[in-house]
Amino acid sequence: VTQLTPLADDTFVALLEAVPDAMVCIAADGRIALVNAQAERLFGYERTELIGQPVEILVPDAARAGHAGHRAGYVADPRPRPMGAGLLLAGRRRDASTFTAEISLSAIDTDEGTLVAAAIRDASAWPGVKDPERSGQSTESFIYLVSHDLRAPLRALSGYSEILLDEYGGILGEEGRGYAERIVAASEHMSRLIDYLLQHSRVSRAELHVQPVDLGGEAARIAAELQRREPDRRICFTIEKPVQVLADRRLISTVLQNLLDNAWKFTSGRGDASIEFGTARSEDAAVCYYVRDNGAGFDSAYAGKLFQPFQRLHSARDFPGTGTGLASARQIVERHGGRVWAEGAVGAGATFYFTVDGKESA
Amino acid sequence: MTNRTILLVEDNPDDEALTLRAFKKSNILNEVVVMRDGAEALAYLFAGDGTPRPALILLDLNLPKVGGLEVLRKMRADKRTRLIPVVVLTSSKLDEDVLGSYRNGANAYVRKPVKYSDFAEAVRALGAFWLLMNEPVPGIGPESD
Repeated sequence: VTQLTPLADDTFVALLEAVPDAMVCIAADGRIALVNAQAERLFGYERTELIGQPVEILVPDAARAGHAGHRAGYVADPRPRPMGAGLLLAGRRRDASTFTAEISLSAIDTDEGTLVAAAIRDASAWPGVKDPERSGQSTESFIYLVSHDLRAPLRALSGYSEILLDEYGGILGEEGRGYAERIVAASEHMSRLIDYLLQHSRVSRAELHVQPVDLGGEAARIAAELQRREPDRRICFTIEKPVQVLADRRLISTVLQNLLDNAWKFTSGRGDASIEFGTARSEDAAVCYYVRDNGAGFDSAYAGKLFQPFQRLHSARDFPGTGTGLASARQIVERHGGRVWAEGAVGAGATFYFTVDGKESA
Repeated sequence: MTNRTILLVEDNPDDEALTLRAFKKSNILNEVVVMRDGAEALAYLFAGDGTPRPALILLDLNLPKVGGLEVLRKMRADKRTRLIPVVVLTSSKLDEDVLGSYRNGANAYVRKPVKYSDFAEAVRALGAFWLLMNEPVPGIGPESD
């Protein structure tokens, strides 16, 4: 193990330690001459384990064979590759796991020959980057991007059908117009399904900003908004407040919104509708929160299906909807480390419970 | 009379056709110039051949060659195009796209609705606001440069 004297300079070492990227300097013979603390962290090695080792120790097995050749090629024609033009490659950690890395290279001339300095950035979390270790996350990014792209052809479907109705309705005749209307309706339905995919992918990628939230205050605000939108409906709201929890405000409000929307919708047939928000103790004595209504209810045999996306227990004719509100609510509650469940009976209303752990769960 | 051309930067031929029809149907009869990628749009804007600059730009973000945000950046960095109203009209509702658009000087950000009647109404409202109601930037027109 040789320390290269020109690099042992205090200022240089301090600088090396201060840069945010992992830095690995490689001597002309391909052995690691110097690393910084960020590199130790990124690759999971102590620096004493790395100094003097061939740099291929940090390259995934599959790419190792070709690496020495690439390295020699770079030293023969060393052009700096700035970060922006850096390559997306893979790195190998001490435990043999791999990650997507952006690597930029530059050459340093020293008395001992040309050193190659590599700056390495973990790119696993970048949108659209495929990472062997976090394929779940890359799937979510993929879904997000695809959902966007699906909207354009859908707009064309809906658009041309509406134009057909608008300008060629006479030629189409009643039956033809009916079909065109079905294309419009199906496009809208698909658009809502895509919105759910987007929402799902957004929630699963969202960082939770946990803070104290008054669920009662949020519920009251949502209830007032529902009432404002349909002032003719008479609903008796009973809302317990304050109800303090630790949660991500925006996401947990979406849960309340979806549950209250649901209660509002399924009580639409009743003259004496009532909706209640409050707290209770669940079986394991943890505090849980509930939204109760005296509306249409559901057959408890299908209670498990309620929280599945696109599942509906009522016909679209009676109660329109996409069957995604409760699935979203479940996803958000589970991201908070909580759970959701429901009780109800046909014609006897429904109660939706959830818990909030207050900590993020993976 | 100042120039009232609309520049539509849109690579999707269906969105182009639907946008043009929505303008026509709302009796917005201004000339609409269509550029189908970001490089074309920049070439058109900086042609310097006396072509009048548009009174309004509808800019998609996801474009071939040069993306919409880059078009916006380049426009805002040049005094000839710095003040032209730009409405970003896109499918994206990614926070980074919305923020990026405003940071780079977009005047408005509108997400294209999927339902055509909503889309047509959005196009009509944009045209009506930016071309009729909104007071144009003095000097944007044939004689400005």
